[in-house]
Amino acid sequence: MRNHFFAVLRFLLSSSLLLQHGRSDSYRVATVPSIPDDNKTFDGSAKSRRKNPKAKRKGDDLDDLKQELDIDFHKITPEELYQRFQTSPDRGLSHAKAKENLERDGPNALTPPKTTPEWVKFCKQLFGGFALLLWIGAILCFIAYSIQASTVEEPADDNLYLGVVLSAVVIVTGCFSYYQEAKSSAIMESFKSMVPQLYLGIVLSVVVMVTGTFSYWQEAKSGSIMDSFKSLVPQFATVIREGEKVTVRAEDLVLGDVVEVKFGDRIPADIRIIESRGFKVDNSSLTGESEPQSRSTEFTHENPLETKNLAFFSTNAVEGTAKGIVISCGDHTVMGRIAGLASGLDTGETPIAKEIHHFIHLITGVAVFLGVSFFVIAFILGYHWLDAVIFLIGIIVANVPEGLLATVTVCLTLTAKRMASKNCLVKNLEAVETLGSTSTICSDKTGTLTQNRMTVAHMWFDNQIIEADTTEDQSGVQYDRTSPGFKALSRIAALCNRAEFKGGQENVPILKKEVAGDASEAALLKCMELALGDVMTLRKKNKKVCEIPFNSTNKYQVSIHETDDPNDPRHLSVMKGAPERILDRCSTIFIGGKEKVLDEEMKEAFNNAYLELGGLGERVLGFCDLMLPSDKYPIGFKFDCDEVNFPISGMRFVGLMSMIDPPRAAVPDAVAKCRSAGIKVIMVTGDHPITAKAIAKSVGIISEGNETVEDIAQRLNIPVSEVNPREAKAAVVHGTELRDLDSSHLDDILRHHTEIVFARTSPQQKLIIVEGCQRMGAIVAVTGDGVNDSPALKKADIGVAMGIAGSDVSKQAADMILLDDNFASIVTGVEEGRLIFDNLKKSIAYTLTSNIPEISPFLAFILLDIPLPLGTVTILCIDLGTDMVPAISLAYEEAESDIMKRQPRNPFTDKLVNESGLLVRSPHQMPAISLAYEAPESDIMKRQPRDPYSDKLVNHRLISMAYGQIGMIQAAAGFFVYFVIMAENGFLPVKLFGIRKQWDSKAINDLTDSYGQEWTYRDRKALEFTCHTAFFVSIVIVQWADLIVCKTRRNSLIHQGMRNWALNFGLVFETALAAFLSYTPGMDKGLRMYPLKFVWWLPALPFTLSIFVYDEVRRFYLRRYPGGWLEQETYY
Amino acid sequence: MKTKLEQDDSVQEFQGFFKPAEVPALQQWKDFFYNKEEGKVMGRTGSSWGKIILFYIIFYSALAALFSIMLWVFYQTLDPRIPKWQTDGSLIGTNPGLGFRPMPPFANVESTLITYRGTDAENYRFWKDSLVEFLKVYRKPGLTPGRGQNIYNCDYDRPPGKGQVCDVDVKNWSPCTSENNFNYHKSAPCVFLKLNKIYGWVPEFYNDTNNLPPMMPRDLKRHIWEVGRNNTLKLNTVWVSCEGENPADVENVGPIRYIPDLRGFPGYFYPYENSEGYLSPIMAIHFEKPRTGILIQIECKAWARNIRHDRRDKLGSVHFELMID
Repeated sequence: MRNHFFAVLRFLLSSSLLLQHGRSDSYRVATVPSIPDDNKTFDGSAKSRRKNPKAKRKGDDLDDLKQELDIDFHKITPEELYQRFQTSPDRGLSHAKAKENLERDGPNALTPPKTTPEWVKFCKQLFGGFALLLWIGAILCFIAYSIQASTVEEPADDNLYLGVVLSAVVIVTGCFSYYQEAKSSAIMESFKSMVPQLYLGIVLSVVVMVTGTFSYWQEAKSGSIMDSFKSLVPQFATVIREGEKVTVRAEDLVLGDVVEVKFGDRIPADIRIIESRGFKVDNSSLTGESEPQSRSTEFTHENPLETKNLAFFSTNAVEGTAKGIVISCGDHTVMGRIAGLASGLDTGETPIAKEIHHFIHLITGVAVFLGVSFFVIAFILGYHWLDAVIFLIGIIVANVPEGLLATVTVCLTLTAKRMASKNCLVKNLEAVETLGSTSTICSDKTGTLTQNRMTVAHMWFDNQIIEADTTEDQSGVQYDRTSPGFKALSRIAALCNRAEFKGGQENVPILKKEVAGDASEAALLKCMELALGDVMTLRKKNKKVCEIPFNSTNKYQVSIHETDDPNDPRHLSVMKGAPERILDRCSTIFIGGKEKVLDEEMKEAFNNAYLELGGLGERVLGFCDLMLPSDKYPIGFKFDCDEVNFPISGMRFVGLMSMIDPPRAAVPDAVAKCRSAGIKVIMVTGDHPITAKAIAKSVGIISEGNETVEDIAQRLNIPVSEVNPREAKAAVVHGTELRDLDSSHLDDILRHHTEIVFARTSPQQKLIIVEGCQRMGAIVAVTGDGVNDSPALKKADIGVAMGIAGSDVSKQAADMILLDDNFASIVTGVEEGRLIFDNLKKSIAYTLTSNIPEISPFLAFILLDIPLPLGTVTILCIDLGTDMVPAISLAYEEAESDIMKRQPRNPFTDKLVNESGLLVRSPHQMPAISLAYEAPESDIMKRQPRDPYSDKLVNHRLISMAYGQIGMIQAAAGFFVYFVIMAENGFLPVKLFGIRKQWDSKAINDLTDSYGQEWTYRDRKALEFTCHTAFFVSIVIVQWADLIVCKTRRNSLIHQGMRNWALNFGLVFETALAAFLSYTPGMDKGLRMYPLKFVWWLPALPFTLSIFVYDEVRRFYLRRYPGGWLEQETYY
Repeated sequence: MKTKLEQDDSVQEFQGFFKPAEVPALQQWKDFFYNKEEGKVMGRTGSSWGKIILFYIIFYSALAALFSIMLWVFYQTLDPRIPKWQTDGSLIGTNPGLGFRPMPPFANVESTLITYRGTDAENYRFWKDSLVEFLKVYRKPGLTPGRGQNIYNCDYDRPPGKGQVCDVDVKNWSPCTSENNFNYHKSAPCVFLKLNKIYGWVPEFYNDTNNLPPMMPRDLKRHIWEVGRNNTLKLNTVWVSCEGENPADVENVGPIRYIPDLRGFPGYFYPYENSEGYLSPIMAIHFEKPRTGILIQIECKAWARNIRHDRRDKLGSVHFELMID
């Protein structure tokens, strides 16, 4: 029997298919999963990609974990339970049985997922992306060198110069590694040699290795989720075995063990309670509900998470003691399943990583195409194959923007730093941009949207509802604190209350003080402290003589006090509790300072108030009191709480107070901003639907005037089934409904409702919701703080955890942490994310542009047979030197005001200040007004989120602009300078064509120029390298203009200004670096950079100006004719 | 691709992006090259191609025009006869190298090896022909630009006037004459040397017989003393010395005869100022008895006080190999 059961249990965990067959016997261990596995993952494709059966099993495991927990341990009788586990409540398991179970099931611990070995990760960094291309370049270099070394016996004295270049590369890459606070691994120090091929090979290898190492560090920094889960696992457990109480290590617990837990312990496994004394557990890590929940032996709910007779692994016992039977262990526990889900989920690439891969593919494609075709052309032209290989190297080096990936990383880091200063701590660098692409935010309620602080929101006394102040700074409405009704109510609230402020908080504002006691009482205490002043003194004056604490059967709390009036010998009895229970115990009601009989009319008024407050999602408490007659209960009377020797009925009803966890002040604004940025905000909470809906309405997740299906049904007075669901924009979906929905229904809900609230959701359902959104093509951000949120956080494109309230597990699973727990900080993140995407485009456009002047010299060299105008070393100097700082500085660029994306103003109807704008505050007109007449500012938050399928980081328009247009002008500038220097020294352009072979031949010591002068090999090489330097300098000079035009994609420079000081510095820096490289003594040996005459800096200037003018004109037309041909072809 | 539900609000809210339908890779390629439905070739329709091509034609024409105008303007600053930058101002510097003739064929441009079989006229024909070609202008002055009108019979006491060029008489350089096959057939070939022309470069001669550099070969020193005894004016010469590069080569190369016996380039040829019809002074090196069947490395140096020597960079010198079978 028992074995059969375990077989079933194992089936349940290993295969959803087997699960259905296994469910045949009387135990009803499992039921059919409510959502059949359609053998599809969220994107509908992943599973078909699976090739080996091993991977398949893993996938199925995960799918199974995604199913709701389906057990019956809480439903069966204790006897059945004992029988099933062959245990007894008093004696526990036998040692032998425990050992057997342990051997069969393994330890009660979470199994860490298989991790990729470190070296594999490292290799992935080293051989991914451009690295591979550069490796090929490097290897070709080494091959070319070794062949040359073996065939040409030429002594090489390039040692010095090699060292300089290497140091330069190491310094550049080192600087930015330092930025990342990653220690770069030791880089080969001593190089002794040789010809450029070898040294180029080494440089390329170093670049690749440094970049790889550094990306590896980036990745290695994020730890494993499982480790954080492990910190939740208790160390020891008290267990009864063979009738004896023993303490064992928690991992040695087995199914059927009888364990004892007391307050302060962590629950060591999932247990069914068989004995309980005032036992309360804190389930917040599982459900998100922060209040301790009592646990007893009764079976109260079908849902295992809600029933009272189960306590779960790793939750905290906060009060009382209990005894329970272990029903599941380790990975099979509720927490274990969440941990398995969270650590097993494959999160896939971030959007920016996808973009970068797309971009790498594009550039690699171009590089390989050009490289191979010129390799072939070189052969056809009769070049030696070694020369062809060297051409290939040159083309690869010129094509790959070596510094670009580093630039992207630095840009992202800069933004991450900026975000951290705005309370968004980014864990995974790539997530910086993800938030900008986000099109759906699934937000948890508690703590994120709300303050996570129960606060008194409303009071009902004297037959009217009074609004209490719930704002964080108490700036809200005040109410009359002198009416007798309020006095009576406040006295009860202050006295019938066990909460106390914790010590040592004298200087903390009242609302922020920490309180010992449950959340409702704390809320009352704070409210009273604000209204009455010192509650503690009041309590001292009204000495408590007796108290019946709150319990779940009575649902009230009574205390009896002496009064603070020394002349009044009576005792005061005060009571609070569930309103209907309180009302039942009252015979009179206190209204307007008079005690009235509680008639039907008053009851009706009470009911209305109760319903209204309840409808706001608030927790309502009733308050009543009674002056005990002094003749019966004189001072010194012995009140007995257990026997209740005093009246607890016939009391005087005083009023109601309702509490809510109020939304944070900044949230409604933030939600509105998300809305206007085209982002859908969905609330996903474990809380009750009414509360959830109320909060959703108050923060604008359900906007004013939007109704749910139920609302429409109520308004029209028709059954819910008759309402057309398409009419309702809003929806509140209950977790139990969600259970019965299949994925297409969920898609329907997600697609057709703009305002959605999911309530009472389980961790698995949160995950399903996230997947649903992703299936729609959305990029999803999830916020959450509990352990229960971790699978959803992990699955989300960007998981956002809470820094203060968040559990360690959620922080590990997340990509970003909101340090102030405030939803509003997300808006900052979205803005920064969108900005960095725009700026990365600009940065890439800038960097790619210089590829053309880098490649074209090589092509000209091969096709026109001219001396090489630009060498590989100088290309590296551009890519890794002068281009780096300016490209990074574009990350600091302010957002462009997309003024042209706004609707044009109709001059006849749309006045600056018009009646409708002032009088009719319709939501449709206000944004139009504010949009059209604002001073130009960042409109980055007023556009749709990026469509990940069509709006690429690098698209053909960007390539066309960078390569086809600006790059060509730059190449022209470079060649012009080249011809100028050649001609001024004696070689007129005509002379250069076809001269390459003689030029590069060491044998020819007397090459004639256009003036009859004869040049030795050394002198003409000096001339050639001077040309390289000048070409290099002219690229720097034309890049000035490129940098300035890349500042904006649409606006004029006049509009954007030159306020980006990082960029201005970049301009100066690249120029200074170019001058440094050109004029520093020894550079002719080290980098083959020669000093230039000042006039040789000038010929590129007209081209610089042309670039600037051309692009300003282009952008003028973009603005003038939005959506026109030029925009379609050149707006990247 | 963006799908937007029609909404009254001015604010568009996200409704989901539709993934592009998945198309097999082959079909994607086919569609890329020719998409019948949309009439697209390589991703563009005919008119789209037309527009983009027109755009780029205009763009590149404008760029070419800009480039040409700039180049034309630049040409206006150049003098056709005088280089803009000279000697130290130019990268050519002030340290001329030497050139040798005959050079190996163009297909073998990296080589400096003169190799042939003296017994086979066809075999050394290339070397002879290329020397004949090289000496043509020296033999027939009319071939130079200016048709030799400004040729002046210079001497040490008669330097050329402005616009005049000096004559180089190669006719009596026996045995290094074309009629004698430059002595290639006797396995004792002649190699011609010339000093690189550098506009405006003036040599500083070793004309003080008491002050010759220690590195100078002893036989050259002796020669200079001798010349100095006869005619001090003739000391204004850029001297030339040739040697085997290594001790073995020195042995193998045998006696070397310098023709003409001045053993240098007369100073009156300098400075070179790109005058019409200017002929570079040359001299012939006659290897009288080089060892055959072995590769001999030879280095020739030009000697003037402002000529530095560097074997690796071939400063002030030239390197070639001789191999006679």
